[in-house]
Amino acid sequence: MNKEELTAKLKVIIKPYATNTDAYENLTENTDFINDLNINSANLVDIILDIEEAFDIVIDNTDMERMLDVKNSVEIIETKLAAK
Amino acid sequence: MIGNDVIDIIQSRYDSNWQRKGFIQKIFTSDEQLLINKALNPEIIVWLLWSMKEAAYKIYNRQTKIRAYIPQRLECSLNSQNDKYILGKVFCCGNIYYTKTSISNDYIHTIAVTNHDKLNTVIEIEKNYIIKDEHGIPFLTSSLSDLVQNVSISNHGRFEKVVALSNL
Repeated sequence: MNKEELTAKLKVIIKPYATNTDAYENLTENTDFINDLNINSANLVDIILDIEEAFDIVIDNTDMERMLDVKNSVEIIETKLAAK
Repeated sequence: MIGNDVIDIIQSRYDSNWQRKGFIQKIFTSDEQLLINKALNPEIIVWLLWSMKEAAYKIYNRQTKIRAYIPQRLECSLNSQNDKYILGKVFCCGNIYYTKTSISNDYIHTIAVTNHDKLNTVIEIEKNYIIKDEHGIPFLTSSLSDLVQNVSISNHGRFEKVVALSNL
């Protein structure tokens, strides 16, 4: 899976939690989950669990700490997929 | 310093499924999971602990300017309870934050402070004259003086709480 495909798959996962639809439609790698998409911080864990299911990977606490934006999330998913 | 977090209990049922597989394990330490598991009303304990973590994190973020998703590093302990509120502590990366949580049928509201003696000086204020710095951290300004004061803002569902430390 290349970066574009991975980002597209991530975008689908994020959709139910994003309350700022403009920012969601214009999502880039710099989009911040909380500041831009207005995602409730309790829902970040749902995004992480959805990512684990969708990509069949395990995200540990250290990775979770950085999962506040698209860029870091894509990087973490890429690393986990490469290690499979 | 000051932090606060409000949770609309009805809204939380739309927003989150805390019984989802993995949810509790990702967010809570093993001690916190014990508190949840033995509770008569685990839903309330889940959101009580979550609001303590959020309120404490707001101070941690104000102090360090570090942004990170670190629910398990914000370790909660509950100290005492009466019919009005629950007192607790949150430990994070060598810091201690003191919390006071009120629980009603509609909401859970936690305030956190760095100095235990300040817990009773927290006041709710109107959301006027609020500015934010480059880290998104809110401050209260005054038209009467150049003083700026730390404030904490929390919104969820039907509720918004803006709190500050009283100067009295």
